[in-house]
Amino acid sequence: MRFRIAILAVLLFCCFSALLAFQARFKEYSGEEDNPAPVPKDAFELTEWTFARLRYPSGRYAGYSGERGSWPTDFPKADRQFLQGVRRLTRIHTRSTEQVIDLINDAQEIYNWPWTYAVEVGHWDLTDEQCMLLREYLLRGGFLMVDDFHGTFEWDVFTQSMSRVFPDRAIVEIPDADPIFHTVYDLEQRVQVPGLQYLYSHRICEKCENGGKEPHWRAIYDDDGRVMVAMCFNQDDGDAWEHADNPQYEAKYTSQAYRLGINYVIYAMTH
Amino acid sequence: MFEFLFKYPLAIFQKGKFVLLSGWPVWLLLVLIAVAGGALFWNIRRRPVLSSMRSTAIWLAQTALIALVLLLLWHPAISVARLRPQENVVAVLLDHSRSMGIADTGTPRLRNAEEVLNGQLLPELNKRFQVRMYEFGRDAVRIDQARNLVADDNATRIGDSLKHIASEAGTMPLGAIVVMSDGGDNTGGVDRDTIEQLRQLRIPVHTIGFGPDHFAKDIEIVDVAAPARALVQSRLSARVAIRQHGYAGQTVKLIVRENDHPLAEQAIVLKPDAEQSETVVFNAGAAGAHSFQIGVVPMPGEQNDRNNSVVRLVSVVPKKMRILYMEGEPRWEYKFIRRALEDDQSIEIVTILRTTQNKIYRQGTRDEHELENGFPAKAEELFKYDGLIIGSVEANYFSPEQQNMIRDFADKRGGGVLFLAGRFALSDGGYEKTPMAEMMPLRLAKEKTWSRDFATASLTDAGRESVICRIEEDRTQNAARWQKMPQIANYAVMGAPKPGAVVLMNVAEAGHRPSPLLAIQNYGHGRVGVFATAGSWRWKMLQDHTDKTHSMFWSQLLRWLVTETPGPVQASTPRQVLSDDTRVPLRVSVRDKNYDIVSGATVQTMVSRPDGGSDTVDLKPDPLEPGMYIGEYTADKPGTYVAETSAHQDKTDLGSDALTFRREDGVAENFGAAQNRDLLEKLSRDTGGNYYTSSNARRLSGEVAISEAGITAHDNLDIWDMPIVFLLVILIRGGEWLLRRKWGVV
Repeated sequence: MRFRIAILAVLLFCCFSALLAFQARFKEYSGEEDNPAPVPKDAFELTEWTFARLRYPSGRYAGYSGERGSWPTDFPKADRQFLQGVRRLTRIHTRSTEQVIDLINDAQEIYNWPWTYAVEVGHWDLTDEQCMLLREYLLRGGFLMVDDFHGTFEWDVFTQSMSRVFPDRAIVEIPDADPIFHTVYDLEQRVQVPGLQYLYSHRICEKCENGGKEPHWRAIYDDDGRVMVAMCFNQDDGDAWEHADNPQYEAKYTSQAYRLGINYVIYAMTH
Repeated sequence: MFEFLFKYPLAIFQKGKFVLLSGWPVWLLLVLIAVAGGALFWNIRRRPVLSSMRSTAIWLAQTALIALVLLLLWHPAISVARLRPQENVVAVLLDHSRSMGIADTGTPRLRNAEEVLNGQLLPELNKRFQVRMYEFGRDAVRIDQARNLVADDNATRIGDSLKHIASEAGTMPLGAIVVMSDGGDNTGGVDRDTIEQLRQLRIPVHTIGFGPDHFAKDIEIVDVAAPARALVQSRLSARVAIRQHGYAGQTVKLIVRENDHPLAEQAIVLKPDAEQSETVVFNAGAAGAHSFQIGVVPMPGEQNDRNNSVVRLVSVVPKKMRILYMEGEPRWEYKFIRRALEDDQSIEIVTILRTTQNKIYRQGTRDEHELENGFPAKAEELFKYDGLIIGSVEANYFSPEQQNMIRDFADKRGGGVLFLAGRFALSDGGYEKTPMAEMMPLRLAKEKTWSRDFATASLTDAGRESVICRIEEDRTQNAARWQKMPQIANYAVMGAPKPGAVVLMNVAEAGHRPSPLLAIQNYGHGRVGVFATAGSWRWKMLQDHTDKTHSMFWSQLLRWLVTETPGPVQASTPRQVLSDDTRVPLRVSVRDKNYDIVSGATVQTMVSRPDGGSDTVDLKPDPLEPGMYIGEYTADKPGTYVAETSAHQDKTDLGSDALTFRREDGVAENFGAAQNRDLLEKLSRDTGGNYYTSSNARRLSGEVAISEAGITAHDNLDIWDMPIVFLLVILIRGGEWLLRRKWGVV
């Protein structure tokens, strides 16, 4: 009897160890999808890289997105369309589906994904613990791309959290000569990439009168001059990826969004 | 006893030649023995009163007796060359090195030697020979008498001293040499040339050994193997051979010091077997010549505590070694390897990354032209680098010429090549049938084995000892740290290690058999490693940002890869630390840009002395090894010397190299202070002499005359009247009578 119990215990231990041995796999967030897209057959493939989207709390700044928060804006269609571009245009071994990094319920998983993307960060509201974790992640070598936030108010909301991540580091404009604009594509000439709203409003900028008119490519650098946080302010690359298949959305914006995104990924994988 | 039975000393029989002096033919002796044997046989068979077995025994006894008598009729003798009395010189060499001052039994060895010499030996020798006495250490010096000599010479060079005496053989009838010593030679033994010279002159060297074969209580550092060169702030591993007597099972402290400042300490348990080997790891420090004192802390009661440590010289070079890293796809490993080496003062990494199907991304290049066409197509271009890392690149991305160049990079150029795993690497990348597979320390699987499952890396026994995997100085703490290491993100299953390969890490996925993860080996003039993963980046991302594990591991792995990579001109010496010695052999290897051998170069070494002066040595081609130039420098004074070698050919500068060496005095005699009996026995055996102890040295006076050197006469010594002969006759005849009596046929 004791022998059987021992064998059972060993088998259970092996199964448990095997489960622990894997990083988080692809998971659907059915109730929270902003723009659903089909799940490809190879959704669970193990690859070198995939689009890691940050699931952050919006808290006080949830606004129109309500309890769900703003993290899944354009999700998952933008992610999967961008992934197709990365697969086709680079040699990165890329999964067809995104990976949601749940900063709220499973924050430690972020360390398995050295490149992350956060959208609508003008509506995020990080806790102190999340700020500390994000700081540690970035100092270890992680890379964060933030996108789709516009105007002075959203900038202030973004920096309220970001200044707790790095109270000691300045946010600066990325010079055109920085390698991040040259890893694959030379992107010295850049335009403001608008959200889908421009098709109806005919205005490239959002919140144009409230600081949203000029596009900015800003960053926080580490001590060795490498970009840790890349900010696409007053622009919406996520919409450009999401609507890459929309004939009315102009190709020049899509093209730049893909090129910029690829440059940022390759930069994160080389610096 | 021997001399009583055989009339003469054993040496007469060993050196002499057996002869028959009657002048009658030997065949006649044999025929007569045969005829006598036949007649006896016929006689016994004619009257068979005993069984055949007993008859045979009787016949054998009778035949043996007749054969012996016939042999004596032929007048047997020993012909031996002996020194003619009063006409020859015998040289007596008395060792007065410091080790002869050790009082093993209350009296110094040198006093014992004087007593042996002056007691009986010298008066006996003086009766028949002219005796010349010498004291020797570094060299032999003539003395009038051997009384109250001082054991103060810092070195023992038996070979040099013998050569000196042998050179005098042309001017005097030197018949034999007697060496009185503990055999503690500091040059590693008597060289072959000296032995050959003595054999040609036929001068026997008799040796008398003093001192015990080993001390009752002693710990001695027999040898320390440490690299001669290192990069700045490198971790070094020294292999220490320790011999002990009387301290088995006790714990001692192995310590590395520089200028009396301890750099590393390690507790070791002394094994019952006399000799053991231990590894100690320490930091090489800043650029310059470093003298590290490596040894064990003396234990209470040690009879000789001056042999507990040795000095090793390490040249820490401020050079920045360049490693070319070719990667076939963007991967996290690439980024984190680059980051790991960012603060390394000694390694510069230049990378080529295939970002898209038709684009490469270069980092770390010195100018816009470096590697602008991708992986080098010419050996001259590739061989500029000191190391090479091949990542996830399909084998057929390289042309056949480039594949051969990668193999030659290690084999011919002497560089280090590291292969990483990946979906386009190793067996997954089609490497199995290429020249690159030949150079790998692990066999490649025939199928694809790349897997993105997480797995645990574990150190092997060799890995626990290796400086590559040493994150913590302390061995136990280091092993514990590796056990807590985050899992790697991926790996490839590798085949078995090849002969000569060393596996430092295994990878074990739950439920699978361990597979080699990190293996290294020497290949040709260089080194090759396989690190069968691209997932060590998790050692960085899964640990605190201040943790240095990942960068230390990569820094140490890549330093191993390139530290020994030679330049086109590479100077070396087998004796970087001269213990009470002056001669420094210099060897310089000279190659061109393609690392082909250069013959006919002008190679010159300028040696800067400790006193600020300098000397120049012209090196000559080594006839036995093309491309190698050799020479010798004499270090007259103690201290550190710097030798800068340059090579030219037809006004073309081929390159230069620097080398340091150090002369230390008053050290050599502390080591090997017990009697080296093997050396003394071998010396006497090789030259036709005999070995004696202090207790039987009186025999020497009788045996020293047996020699073919000097003025000799060949004596024929009768042996028919040896007591043993008469004893033999009685034994044969008495034995036969006893047998007959027993069998009732008397």
